[in-house]
Order: sequence, then structure tokens, then C-alpha cells
Amino acid sequence: MGKGSSVVRFAAVALGLALLAACTNNPYPDADEELKILYRPLGEPPRTLDPAVSYNAAEHQITGIVYATLLDYHYLARPYRLIPGLAREVPHARTLGGGRVAYRFQVREGALYQNDPAFSLAGGGALTREVVAGDVAFQLMRIADPAIASPVVATFAKIEGFREFSDRLTALREGDPGFASQSIQAQYAAAGGIAGVKAAGRYELEIVLSEPYPQLLYWFTMPFTAAVPWEAVEYWDGEAGRAFFKDHPVGAGPFFVTRFDRQSRIVLDKNPNFYGLRHPEWRAPAAVYPSEGEPEDAPLGRLDPAYVGRPLPFLDRVEFPIEKEDIPTFNKFLQGYYDASGILQESFDKMVHEGALSEEMARDGMQLEKSVDPDVYYIGFNMDDPVVGSAAGEKGRKLRQAMSLVVDSTEFSRIFNNGRGVPAQSPLPPGIFGYEADYANPYRRVDLARAQRLLAEAGYAGGTDPKTGKPLRLSFDLGDTSTRGRVRFQFFVNAWSRLGLDVEIAATNYNQFQEKVRKNAYQIFMWGWIADYPDPENFLFLLWGPLAQSKSHGPNTANFANPRYDELFLRMKVAENGEARLALIREMRAILERERPWIELFHRENYTLFHGWVRNVKPAGLSLPTARYVDIDPGLRSRRRAEWNRPVLWPAFALAAGTLALVIPGVVTFLRERQ
Amino acid sequence: MLAYVLRRTAYGFVTLIGVLLLLFVLFFLYASPHEMARRAVGEKAPPEVLEQWIVNHGYDKPKLWNPEAPLDTLLVEHFRRALTFDFGRSDADGTPITQRLREGMGPSLALAVPSFVFGLLFSVALALFVAYFRETYIDRMGVILCVLTMSISTLLYIIGGQFLIGKLLRWFPISGFDASPSVIARFLMLPVLVSLADGLGGSVRFYRTVFIEEGGRDYVRTARAKGCGDLRVMTHHVLRNSLIPILTRVVVAIPFLFTGALLLESFFGIPGLGSLTVDAINGNDFATLRAMVFIGALLFIGAQIATDVSYTLVDPRVRFE
Repeated sequence: MGKGSSVVRFAAVALGLALLAACTNNPYPDADEELKILYRPLGEPPRTLDPAVSYNAAEHQITGIVYATLLDYHYLARPYRLIPGLAREVPHARTLGGGRVAYRFQVREGALYQNDPAFSLAGGGALTREVVAGDVAFQLMRIADPAIASPVVATFAKIEGFREFSDRLTALREGDPGFASQSIQAQYAAAGGIAGVKAAGRYELEIVLSEPYPQLLYWFTMPFTAAVPWEAVEYWDGEAGRAFFKDHPVGAGPFFVTRFDRQSRIVLDKNPNFYGLRHPEWRAPAAVYPSEGEPEDAPLGRLDPAYVGRPLPFLDRVEFPIEKEDIPTFNKFLQGYYDASGILQESFDKMVHEGALSEEMARDGMQLEKSVDPDVYYIGFNMDDPVVGSAAGEKGRKLRQAMSLVVDSTEFSRIFNNGRGVPAQSPLPPGIFGYEADYANPYRRVDLARAQRLLAEAGYAGGTDPKTGKPLRLSFDLGDTSTRGRVRFQFFVNAWSRLGLDVEIAATNYNQFQEKVRKNAYQIFMWGWIADYPDPENFLFLLWGPLAQSKSHGPNTANFANPRYDELFLRMKVAENGEARLALIREMRAILERERPWIELFHRENYTLFHGWVRNVKPAGLSLPTARYVDIDPGLRSRRRAEWNRPVLWPAFALAAGTLALVIPGVVTFLRERQ
Repeated sequence: MLAYVLRRTAYGFVTLIGVLLLLFVLFFLYASPHEMARRAVGEKAPPEVLEQWIVNHGYDKPKLWNPEAPLDTLLVEHFRRALTFDFGRSDADGTPITQRLREGMGPSLALAVPSFVFGLLFSVALALFVAYFRETYIDRMGVILCVLTMSISTLLYIIGGQFLIGKLLRWFPISGFDASPSVIARFLMLPVLVSLADGLGGSVRFYRTVFIEEGGRDYVRTARAKGCGDLRVMTHHVLRNSLIPILTRVVVAIPFLFTGALLLESFFGIPGLGSLTVDAINGNDFATLRAMVFIGALLFIGAQIATDVSYTLVDPRVRFE
């Protein structure tokens, strides 16, 4: 036998042995089977876990449980309600002179950060330290720091002295090239801190705003304003083998990062220093399982006495494997290796029948949870445009109304989204104060006859432009050139063509589209908005005159300006939720209904599948980190996985036998003939 | 020989400069830093934050000509970084690119080396086998199978493999990666099998042709006439004399071991350099993408030179000119 064939034989034997040894589809080590681990796949690796920068729902799933914030949302209550987190209570606004407003937070005494080598910087070989008010002040200075490039500077610029601090810091850095090499704490101290952020003593923090902005409190539930220890920022600098701070978060939340393989998995373990675990006697609202919720929560098992009032978190570990492709993710969910999953478009009909879980899936113990995202997707008109905008007066208004009357959002969701999506009647989605389920916008139902009438009244009878004698030509400007996008946009163009209008899709890449928007060279566009916090202000500001794109490069891309709306907005913004605020919202809604700067399309609806071993699941439309409330039954999971994943080996033997049966006669005959 | 290698290296260097120029045109003249900034800091970020990001990442410098400081331009910076292997930081998340390359190299090699070695061994062995049985039904069946397997796209192998072996037969995990020695094999099995299935058809057909052509030469007849056995003829004479085309195919494939398999790594969740490249494309991380393209070009040019040199090692008749 030659050398070549022995190599081949060795390779075949090695491969065969390795095949047998590795024959399991379980992607986790066996030892993990008994632990309470929640597996949540991420579609892409997190860019940054720096809470001042991260502005992405997936990253917030991690930063939201690593960092502790002063406030939190009640897990079960809807509409969303603020509860104290690290703060002792939710502060109330105190009016100061000159329209200024102040909020005073009392930070709990005795809350600790996770153990981390960074704390040795303070000396004495410490592993952790107490959370103090100054840590939140430090984080606010980081947001103001231009070198950090935080995406939320504009929001916090309402804090007195915020911009000034930022300018002083820039001037110091530009004035002395050596300044930036000092410690970050020293730099901020030299710049004098933010005037409107005052840490009085160790546990009191006062925020002074130059104008009333009650929505500020919502920002104190987000990792942007979490308590961040300066030592961590200083220590984790990417030098001498240390990670960067953005890859090594250090917080006081219920979990802490124990493994960070950006491209493959991020593992978080329960933080024994978390105030909920160290001080269960505090009964801190954000650190015990709630005892009250919505009426449907009890029947759905979300108020199980086994959990109510118990200190959080319940899980031992949360793992975020990076799983870039949808198909493997979904298949691994079906095998029991992921605990929750969205539904693949292709598998939708198999999973869901008439809005409920299919029998087959229900038999396996799966649960289907639906939630409506706090967002709105819409087609907007550029109100600065001479044809569709306000300059066209009544004519333009009737044209917009007519175009709104032929767009069928329900049909759109049915065709492109398996029927998922709540048709939007106004900018406000369900779950947000001011949303009224029984409100039906008269211009958001399909009525071709009325639309044709309005179009004729606008002077475009049958869609014809009297100037040219041809169908009125309009441009639908879009920042998406994909085929998938084009098919969707065509749906709207077809709807308008029923009115005789000739709407041309002008699709460019997103960047060129942005350029068009900057130059105010667009007519009709399509866009969406996802709320940062559950307040009507976060939607209705999208149509507030002073934020018009053409005037201030603001988010009001429709360039809508209506003096009455603008005035109502200012009153609504500072009003407490209640009848008076609702009345203001109704009047604003009526203006939008008539003026039609937008054709409201839909609010996205999420269908999420959970396995039966996951407890206390309540879908939140907002990107809320919910892992601290969730529990797992590892025994049930283990049994199910074993049941669902027995390897089927006979095809391998059949294939080998078949190949041999096919080849051997040929070999034998050939050799015999050669003899 | 030295003069030849030097000359080839010089040609390679010129090609490399061309690659760098092309990269500059694509990534600096055509692409807009605003798009990268928006992707990096988020859709909702106000314009001043985008501008700040652009300044922080050095994209605000003059592109080609700076009258105040002629060396302080994007063009000079681009060449300096590439030629000193100081690739800077990722546009997407600020991580040093060399650190990313270091991290990604291991998983890429863990997948590519077994795929490459087993792929080569199996395809040469199978090609020898079918060439030996040429003009029998084994040979014809082999060729038909090769053409069939070549006609299927890589993506279908991947999705089909995941569906059949991962989902229906449940032999290996559908995707994922863990470098710990106790479990790494189970994650690599399926992608290696898919990679073998994907590459085998083309290679076997190519090597078969080479072996058959070589098998018809005079020295083979002489060897047989002298009483040399079939197996010895195939493995000692035919295989050895076919090394030049085999080397051409093999050495050129080596750079791709390092740069990683784009689709395979992405679908199987292997955190290698292929996956890194896909992320860079999806995330407008042009700095990483530039580094990957440059390294790919460099390795490819290196492999071409190595191929030429290796010819003389396997065939003393080949001389440098």
C-alpha cells in the first residue's frame, strides 16, 4: 500500500472519529444545562456599550441591565409609569425664577457597583465602591463632552450650563495640547462642571433646566444617565492589554459582563452587589417583582405569587450569542436553544393561524406574545413645496386629503407584513397617552369616490394637471434603492394612480436622500419614528413648526407649520397627563386630520414566540431591558431539548452503504478485466 | 533566482500601489463620511454630533492637497497607514483594527485549515480514484456528480446543510462558535462539511483531468512496461508529475484561508475575518473594509510569487528567467 493511500485512510478515520465525537447539535457546554440562563441572540455585534453613546435597542438590552439608573419603568403597568430606581423616589419639578425648573434626586445610600479591578485606582485595593450622586453628574458631563460624540446632546442641552461646559472643555483642549492627556476627572474639574447639575453631598443631585421639560425624567430611566464610575472610564483605556471602556461596562445593575467576545458571545452573570440582592429589606420598587399590573396580567401568569415581591433578578446568567442570519436563529429557537424569537416571514403561516399560535406550536408549550411598538410610519408631504405644500393653499390641502383617502394601510400590512401592524389614525401609537382606540381619522379610510371629488375640487379633475393637460406629476422621494423597498413604494404609487396621478419613485441611496432633504428638494417622502420615551410630546414634536427641517434642520421633515398647532404643542408639552392634556391633544389631532401633512400608515406590531419554560414575559414596545424580571425553568428546558434533538444517524450509514454498493461492483469488474 | 524574486516583488509592489489608489478613490472620493457617521452614531443624532464624529475620525482633512501642510491629507494618511500596517481604528466602533484582525484570525483559520486540508486530500484522492477507473461507469458517474455539485450555489449548500444536518438529522449545531477545546469540533463539523461539499466537485474534476492527461504520457507507459503496479504508477509518477497544476490551484487559495470565508462564517456565526468583512460592509465600517481589501491583495500577490517559486521546487526543469 502506498504512502498516499495511508494518508487518505488516516484522514478518513480521523474525520469519522471526530464526526462521532461531535455528534450533538447542542451549542452550549453540558454544564450550563442546569443553570438559569436566558439566551437572547443579537443580530449584530454591539458597537459600543458606553452608555453615553449607545443608542440602539440591542445594545440597550445589555447596558440596561449592567447599569443602574435613577428611575425605571414599572414592569407591568400600561401606559408606562415611572418608578424609582437608584433614586429614593421620582422627583417633582420645582419652578425657579425665569421659567427655570429644578429636579432633586435623592440617591439611595449603600448601593454598590459590581466588583471590578478599576476600583483599585482609588487606592486600598478596593474591588468596588458605593454609588454616589456625583457619578450621575460625571455621566452627564460625559454626554456634554464633544470628544464622546453622544447622540443625545441636544436633549440635555436644556440643562443650564450644559453647552457652556462643553465649550469650556473644547477651549481648554484646543488651548493646551497637553490638557487632553490629563485624567478625565481632572479635565472636567478644570472645565468647572455643568452649572445646572449640582451634587450636594454624596447622595443628592439637583438638575436645573433652563426651560420646563417634564419629559426629562424619562431620560433618567435610560442608560445615558446611569451612574458611571469615573474609575472605570479611566482604567479601561485600551492600553497595556486592558479593554476599552466601551467593551467593558462597569455598573451597579443586576448583571455584569463576565465574557465579551464581540463577534461571538457576550455573557452577563448575576451581580451579587446589585442593591436588590444586597438589600432586599429596602423593597426598592425596581428591584422586587411587582405585585400589581394590568387586568390581563394575572390570568396570563405574570402575577404568580411565587414571584410577587421577590428580589430581582431571578436568572443566573444572560447570554447574548451573535447570530447574524435569521434562518439559523429561528431554527435554533425551534430546537430549544434560544428562549424567544420573532417569526420568520416564510414560517409565519406555519406558526400563526388567524392571529393565534398554531396548534402544533401550542402543543410544544410555546407562547405567542404580541405588542405594538411605540412608533409611527408615515408618508409625509413637504409643506414648503408649491404643489403639495401649504403655498398651494386649499388646493394643496385637498390634494393631500385625496391622496390620503386612497392609501390602504391594512392592505399594505397584509401584503408585506403578514397582517402585522396597527393602521395609524394619528401620530400617536397605542400605549401612549392621548391614543384613543375609538378615534377613526376620516381621511384614513379608503374612499375613492370622495378622493376623486376632492381632487376635482383641488382643480385636478381625474388627476389631470390643467397646466399640462397630462396627469399631475409628483415625485415620491425615497432613500432606499433595494428591490424590496421598490415593491413597497410601488404599492402607494399604484394607489395614487387610481386617482389618475402620475407619481414617480425617485429612489436614491440614503445619503443622497439626506442631501435632498437638506436642500429641501423633495416633495413626498416616507419615514418612521420610534419613540425614545412614552410621551405624546415625543411624537407630536415631529410636526412642531420651529423644528422644521428647512428652518432649523429639525426632525419636522414635513416642514409643517401651523400657528395654532405650535401654540397647542407648547401647552401640551408641559401639561400633566389628564383631561386638559387630552383636550389639547385632540385639538392638535384635528388640525393634522384636516391639514394632512402626513398620511399616517401604521404602528408596527411585534409577534414574539417564547418557549413554555420562560416565565414572567411581558412584551414592552419600548426597548426596555426586561431580563431582570424574567425567570427560566431549566429542568423543563432540558427535558424538551433532549426530546427535540435526538440525532438521526441512520442516513449516514445508508449513504455509506449505498456508495459502497454502487462502487464496489465496478472496481471488482475493472480489476478482473485488468487481470 | 534572487533577481527573479526581486523583480516579481517589485511588480507586486506596483500592483499594490494600484490597489491602494483604487481604494482611495472608492472609499474617500466616492463614499461620504456623513453616511459613516450616521451609521456609527445613530439615525437620530443631530448634525453637530455627525460633524464631531467626522472630526474625531480624521475624515475632515483635505483629501488630496493641503497647501498649509502638504503631508496632512487623507491620501498621504491612507498610504502611510497601509504601508506601515497601522490600520487605525474601526469607523463603526473605534476598536483598533489590528486587534480585530488578531481576534478574527484564529476562528478563520480554525475553519479554513481543516476545510483546506481535508478538501485537498479528498479531492486528490477521489480524482486519482476516478482517473484510475477512467472510462468506466465509476468515472462517468464521478464526472456527473462533480458537474452536479458544481452547479449548486454555495448559499444553497449552507442553508441546505443547516436544514438537513443541523435541523432534520440534528448531528451538529446549526450555527455558533466556541473556541474551548472541548466543544470547538462540534461547531466546525457542519461548516467544514459544507465547505468540502461545495468545493469538492470543481477540484475533483480539475485534478481528474490533470491526472488523465498525465496518465497518457510516455513515461507512464514505460513505467507500466517495466512492471510498475497501477497504484505505484498513480501515486508515485502521475501524482508527482501533476504537482504544478495542483500547486497553482492550492497556493492561490492560501490567502483566502486568512481572509476568511464571507458567507460561511456569516451564516455559521464564526467570528472570523470573513464575518468581520461582512460586518464592515453592512455597517459602513470603511476603515476595516480598506484594511481587509489591502491585506487580501497583499496576500494574493505574495501567493502568486510563492507559486512561481514553488514550481522550481517541484519541477527542476522550470528555471527562473
